[in-house]
Amino acid sequence: MPLRRLLLMMTTCWMFLQPAAEAQAELVVVVNVHCGVAAMTRNEVVNVFFGRNRQFFNGQEAQPVDLPDTHPDRVRFYRELIGKEISEVNAYWSRQVFSGRMQPPTKVNTSEEVLKWVVAHPGGIGFVDLARADARVRIVYELAP
Amino acid sequence: MNLAKVLRGKTWAVLLNKAILAGIVAQLIALPARAENESAFTLQGFGTLGLARTTSNDESFVRDLSQPRGIKKNWSGLVDSVLGLQGAWRINPQLEAVVQANSRYRYDATFYPEIAWAYLKYDLAPNFSLRAGRLGTDFFMMADSRWVGYSFLTVRPPGDFFWYLPFYSIHGADALVTVPFGEDILRAKVFYGHADGRIPLADEQWDISESPMLGGFLEYQMSSWLIRASYANILFKNDLPISAVIRDAFGLPLSSAELAFLSTRNTRTRYYSVGTVYDHGPWQAQLMLNHIEQGSNALESSDGGYLLAGYRVNEFTPYLGYSWVRSRQGVKPLDAMAAYIMADSHSDQHTVFLGTRWDVAKNVALKAQWDQIRGQASSIFPFREDNRLNWNGRMDVFSLTMDFVF
Repeated sequence: MPLRRLLLMMTTCWMFLQPAAEAQAELVVVVNVHCGVAAMTRNEVVNVFFGRNRQFFNGQEAQPVDLPDTHPDRVRFYRELIGKEISEVNAYWSRQVFSGRMQPPTKVNTSEEVLKWVVAHPGGIGFVDLARADARVRIVYELAP
Repeated sequence: MNLAKVLRGKTWAVLLNKAILAGIVAQLIALPARAENESAFTLQGFGTLGLARTTSNDESFVRDLSQPRGIKKNWSGLVDSVLGLQGAWRINPQLEAVVQANSRYRYDATFYPEIAWAYLKYDLAPNFSLRAGRLGTDFFMMADSRWVGYSFLTVRPPGDFFWYLPFYSIHGADALVTVPFGEDILRAKVFYGHADGRIPLADEQWDISESPMLGGFLEYQMSSWLIRASYANILFKNDLPISAVIRDAFGLPLSSAELAFLSTRNTRTRYYSVGTVYDHGPWQAQLMLNHIEQGSNALESSDGGYLLAGYRVNEFTPYLGYSWVRSRQGVKPLDAMAAYIMADSHSDQHTVFLGTRWDVAKNVALKAQWDQIRGQASSIFPFREDNRLNWNGRMDVFSLTMDFVF
């Protein structure tokens, strides 16, 4: 029964691949614990990271921090948040920058630096792996992988 | 102090070019030391290497009316190639100084570099900013990033919509305010200033500097949807160089009655546009409509628009678009000569364009596009070097570009 064997093989492969997928824990958006924000919606997160809105709902200035293109979390973040590839995000920012509207968020190199930025800035907001989000920051949004 | 006067003039531009060059050198020397820091100075750039050809020698194809000559049946890099450099100094968290210089084929048929913008931006509040200096005008969506090919999907902004807009900068000020409504965002902008620049007409140039320009837009962002309406007007301070053009072409002077009839001095042209953009996941779609109400008898008022949709598949984003422009004569021509000149600003055509963007590497996109322009033989305004007798209103344009940012 070649078909059944094929199905069995595929199922086995799929099962082997599962743990690998699960190891990639979900990304979360974190803010400075003193910024007064408890939870955000997807659109609010999009607005902040694309510079459309530079404030939280309470008027506190939002200070987003991003990662370099080469960081796998950056690729995942924009894919899961709005289904956009890095090239599209960069195209968007090149329009904002060269038309003189605004500069993109500051970029730091590692997730640990993201956490440090968020702690150091009263309106700090960034994204990290769930496992890295500790008591220094507050989780306001979880991205479904 | 008259800021406009300070900002004008080649001497100033040359000095600024030198200053930018010095800045680049300084930045390169200083780079290793400050790469880790939140840099107060950033230098960024964009460019396009473009090749295009058409299927007609009876008209030459230009990107917009700021170009005096265009391309014909031979492959040429003239109309789409550009290199731009932008330096931004963050003086303090609220204040930023930005200078952009670019080199592209321009009104005097050279690639002489010019200062596109040079301004100070001050953030009064996170959602309220003011700018003053030499500014780009975005009275139509994306008008102020028309040359940044990497930032959009197509090879060039749809021609039937943008051909008429040779204006790029003003010396003045603008204010941008953002008001959040829950998850939605309202943006409003107003600008005022004096236009700057020259528009080519045959071998002559129309000086539009000193012409006051006022405008603004409203944008409403709802999740993946953006709705936009804009208005702008310009009060031309100089006449078109029609007299010289006609003298060169026919060896005839225009009568004073004809000159008065075709005058653009102290006439006001109004630009209206509405549109919507949908941008979600792999989908991008835009619908834009404009209406241009010309104040002078020499130029016909027009309606234009475009529809564009693209869908990304991995690194490729194929797209399909349709654009159109139609103008009409507002008054009866004074005489045959006036009619001839007025006919020069007539357009009645539509374009189907299809192509693909390929994000081939980080910050580099390759594009290939095929435009099929179909119109009346009388549709000559969007083109240059007219051969009115042979032109049949049909032209295909094939374009290949490599866009990059750095």
